[in-house]
Amino acid sequence: MERVKQFAGQLVGSSGVGALQRQNPDDVVITMAFRSPLCKARKGGFKDTKTDELMLELFKHSISQSHIDPALVNDIAVGTVLTPNAMYHARAAALAAGFPDTTGVQVVNRFCSSGLMAVTSIANQIHAGQIEVGLAVGVESMSQNPDMGGPEQSADIAAHGPAADCKKPMGWTSENVAADFNVSREDQDAYAARSFQRAEAAQKAGFFAKEIVPFAAYQVDAKTGVRTKVVVDKDDGIRAGTTKETLGKLRSAFPQWTPSTTTGGNASQITDGAASVLLMTRRKANELGLKIMAKYITTAIAGLPPRIMGIGPVYAIPQALKQAGLTKDDVDLYEINEAFASQCLYSLRALELDDNKVNVNGGSIAFGHPLDKHSPFVEDCL
Amino acid sequence: MNVPRAPPAVLQNPGFAHYSVKWSPFHTTRIALASSANFGLVGNGRLHLVTVNAGPGAGTLRLDKQYDTQDGLYDVAWSEIHENQLVTGSGDGSLKLWDAMLNDLPIRAWHEHTREVFSVDWSNIKKDTFASSSWDGTVKIWTPEHPRSVATITAHHSCVYQALFSPHQPDVLATCSTDGTLRIFDLRAPAYVASGPTTNNFTNPLSASALTIPASNTEVLSIDWNKYRPFLLASGGVDKAVKVWDCRMVKLGGNETGAVGGNCETQLLGHEYAVRKVQWSPHRAEVLATASYDMTARVWNTMPPAGQSQLMYIHDAHTEFVVGCSWSLYDEGVLATCGWDSRLNVFRI
Repeated sequence: MERVKQFAGQLVGSSGVGALQRQNPDDVVITMAFRSPLCKARKGGFKDTKTDELMLELFKHSISQSHIDPALVNDIAVGTVLTPNAMYHARAAALAAGFPDTTGVQVVNRFCSSGLMAVTSIANQIHAGQIEVGLAVGVESMSQNPDMGGPEQSADIAAHGPAADCKKPMGWTSENVAADFNVSREDQDAYAARSFQRAEAAQKAGFFAKEIVPFAAYQVDAKTGVRTKVVVDKDDGIRAGTTKETLGKLRSAFPQWTPSTTTGGNASQITDGAASVLLMTRRKANELGLKIMAKYITTAIAGLPPRIMGIGPVYAIPQALKQAGLTKDDVDLYEINEAFASQCLYSLRALELDDNKVNVNGGSIAFGHPLDKHSPFVEDCL
Repeated sequence: MNVPRAPPAVLQNPGFAHYSVKWSPFHTTRIALASSANFGLVGNGRLHLVTVNAGPGAGTLRLDKQYDTQDGLYDVAWSEIHENQLVTGSGDGSLKLWDAMLNDLPIRAWHEHTREVFSVDWSNIKKDTFASSSWDGTVKIWTPEHPRSVATITAHHSCVYQALFSPHQPDVLATCSTDGTLRIFDLRAPAYVASGPTTNNFTNPLSASALTIPASNTEVLSIDWNKYRPFLLASGGVDKAVKVWDCRMVKLGGNETGAVGGNCETQLLGHEYAVRKVQWSPHRAEVLATASYDMTARVWNTMPPAGQSQLMYIHDAHTEFVVGCSWSLYDEGVLATCGWDSRLNVFRI
């Protein structure tokens, strides 16, 4: 009963959830979202697969899962952080996968949120009427392109304190957060253990199987050096049976920085993976007869000092809620990046979020954080 | 503020929620009422014609005639050229022209809108022309003589709750919508904006408006042109506020389209639920009547003398949503209100 809904909207007001649930032909909607399995860098399923091969596989699945003619895709945004020559790889892989030369490709990089930015970029293009259908993907091989830290800075830049902080390792920022905001080792371990336990339960319940598309990957035989193709279909970073106590036994990863509370167990894993999201107007989705999974609402951008970079959610979440006209209680599920237990736990505390609404199926600590692949999925849930 | 007044004249039409009330521009005592069964949510509609008889207080109301329709009626407008004719807009997207001298059936019917027609308005300058607005996002221009609409304006991407001709300019029309904007259209201007860096006609072809007024961040349900001050509009909607917009910055006739503006001159706060109808007094430039889902109709002075309240009067005799109000065109200060309580009230402010 559209008519009843319309009148009810006039009465209760059309801000908040009600306004967002209204369906307009101009809405930007998601008709496809999937991810690869997330595999441990240098040890896991994708360790011998090159970045462009991962992209090729991602694009091939994007075409087959989309249920549309790839020629309808006007633009592709690829979020990737560490990949050198990313634009060369992205364009070539898209063509090799079967996208026609008329489909554009761009690369976006905003570190850990690059995948989110790819979604934002495509959604904005659709909103602005520049394109009608766009693909947003994130892809990262941390096996092939390890994070070597920031580049050498020129003297003029290094002389500026916060600018110099930009090249510091992520672990240092985690210790800063733990120190500045009193996040104890014990609390971090407890948080991390719960992330593992939730992820383990979700994996066993088959929740992830629904979002994972099995990826063909290369594996090199250590003895013969022969490359063979295998199929990877499971996250391999989730350690079953992890508890606060087992994590408590781990040594500090960064003894050189106080309070040295970050360990390999309460920080995100280094991971390879990829994800893909197809966006278009509701009008187009209806015209093509596609199932609409979600509606894109907004993205918030918030800056903060580099030395505590991980607590971005503290600023970005209220801003996103404001933009969407929601209160924090209107949201049923939050997914917050778990780069480190320190920053995630502090964000939860500062925002006073209900623990049972955040990362209910575990987070990056449990299944890894391939810098930008994870992010598109955050968007899905909004 | 509320000095004792005579109780209103009341007419009850059981079973029908009233959606719109309009005084005849020809006969001093005639009123038309557009109504719907089941609160307009589902089921048939009815057009009531009512006469106000002189008497003690506000007089008495007599139901003269009624016409039944297949779907609910949401609005009615009297012809400005023919004293006995009126047009109605219906939930099924149809428009019907009625003649009060005849019984039962409309004399003409049109069906082009694909969703609920929520407003109809007869131009009082081009007296052979009327407009309809619909939840399908369009406004259509009609003449009684043509079997098809004369023009279609793709006014908004969502429900257009009201479209009203300017009382001063023959080819100017204002709309309000779910999208929170008012728009002013110049029917002589190019139909569509050319695509360009600041416009988006690739996926969203919209008719070119002379001015877009971002009036609210929620739905705007009703507008009215001030009869004395050109390009002064009142708006009301889900945000409960009544706003008065000075839109004199609008540029008409030229090729310049797509401007955004409107200066909010006054805000009238007090309604506790959505404002469903706003109407300027035909006699006083500063007086405005409003009807609301808070079960009241209110009368405001938008430019009160220093130290006096904007609010002049609260009419709280309705027991359900008040959705329509209309000033008598002949008798200054007489207001008719109608609501979902099946009541038509007529009273003097």
